[in-house]
Amino acid sequence: MAIDFKETAARHKQYLLTGVSYAVPFIACGGILIAVSLAFAPPGPNGAPDPSGSEILSLILKIGESAFSLMFPVLGGFVAYAMASRPGLVPGFIGGAIASMPQTLPDGKTANAGFLGAIFAGLLAGHVVNLFKKAPIPGIFKPIMPILIIPIFGALIVGSVMFVINLPIAKIMVGLGDMLKQMEGQSQFLLAAILGAMIAFDMGGPVNKAAFFFGASMIEQGNFRIMGAVAIAICTPPLGLGLATLLRRKLWNDDQRNAGKAALGMGMIGITEGAIPFAAADPIRVLPCIMAGSITGAVIGMAAKVGDHAPHGGPIVLPVVDNRLWYVVAIAVGTLVTAVSINALKAAGQKKENEAQPTPAA
Amino acid sequence: MKFVAVTGCPTGIAHTYMAAEQLEKTARELGHEIQVETQGAMGIENELSPAAIASADAVILAADIAIEGAERFDGKTKIEVPVQTAIKEAGSIFAQAGAVK
Repeated sequence: MAIDFKETAARHKQYLLTGVSYAVPFIACGGILIAVSLAFAPPGPNGAPDPSGSEILSLILKIGESAFSLMFPVLGGFVAYAMASRPGLVPGFIGGAIASMPQTLPDGKTANAGFLGAIFAGLLAGHVVNLFKKAPIPGIFKPIMPILIIPIFGALIVGSVMFVINLPIAKIMVGLGDMLKQMEGQSQFLLAAILGAMIAFDMGGPVNKAAFFFGASMIEQGNFRIMGAVAIAICTPPLGLGLATLLRRKLWNDDQRNAGKAALGMGMIGITEGAIPFAAADPIRVLPCIMAGSITGAVIGMAAKVGDHAPHGGPIVLPVVDNRLWYVVAIAVGTLVTAVSINALKAAGQKKENEAQPTPAA
Repeated sequence: MKFVAVTGCPTGIAHTYMAAEQLEKTARELGHEIQVETQGAMGIENELSPAAIASADAVILAADIAIEGAERFDGKTKIEVPVQTAIKEAGSIFAQAGAVK
């Protein structure tokens, strides 16, 4: 039983990662286009960039928003696709689309089930479709199963469940946001530290996205400083690890040095996922180091009143950032903290290994 | 021995190709024949032909994601490993294949 459970968990992780692999280009495309459009927009009445005056900028913003709005359907759809192949797509996409619909909460605010909802929808759709596939179907119905029966009934089942649980999941997301928001009054530095840790913790996973969406939703409410701290934390993990491979080349093998270059590129455009190859190989050392860097950067950014007007992070959003100099300083310090600490831990680890086996194999 | 392999990772820009390279290199060193299909962010590249799959002694699936077209390998001897294993210890995968056969 223990082995069974482990294998099931490993398979589900594979499903989630497949969904994420299809959704990442949508997130990057949407985030960067929105950032670009806001970057060149003049300030509007409330001080925020306002692209509505320019047709080209409004168009870019709309294209970016379209890409962003597809992120949850694509995530749900391809989690289901990974589980149940082609027939999983329709119910998965629909579940993801429902997860991105705004829900009205009891206090009148709106929120959606977002990332958590889309993952849940994808897994549910995959399981439902797999059940359909196993059902004993008379021969004459077989041809219409994949194009009619499974899409329609799969969508009805997944859609109904999503409509029931959408609000509770949205409440969880909002509750998380409220918890963070309350802290803003008490201690903004603690808030920045927690958001920084969340961003680095799973590098683009649900915890990271919860912090990101909190920052992004604060922009809509006219508070740009939360996103400022988040934007810094987003880019320091890949930048720090990339820098680490350049600082002490001997500690890293060829493959890791290559991954380091890719990580630097992804860090510059605000893709925390660039850190994943390193964290997957050595989570015990890498995770604390990237969390330390993100926390440091986020707290410096909060202290220096850095603000970010775009729902995206990294040096690429510099044009839409308030207090640009401090934004750069905070990123640089966070990056250094990660780079220096991971190299120190790695050097210590390798020394220990060499002592344990006096004749190193390689 | 003759192998076909598929590699894939979540982001699909680094590990997929590192694993493919490592499998090809190690196979050459061990005197095996191999063709590797990559399923990265660019989609399927170097796609395995049905003939190549049919003539292979074993299939190596080194992926952290669900691969596309998994049904092509039904009935073949399969070695499924995380993509990291192919990058770090490709030799052990071929050793495993030898033991299965």
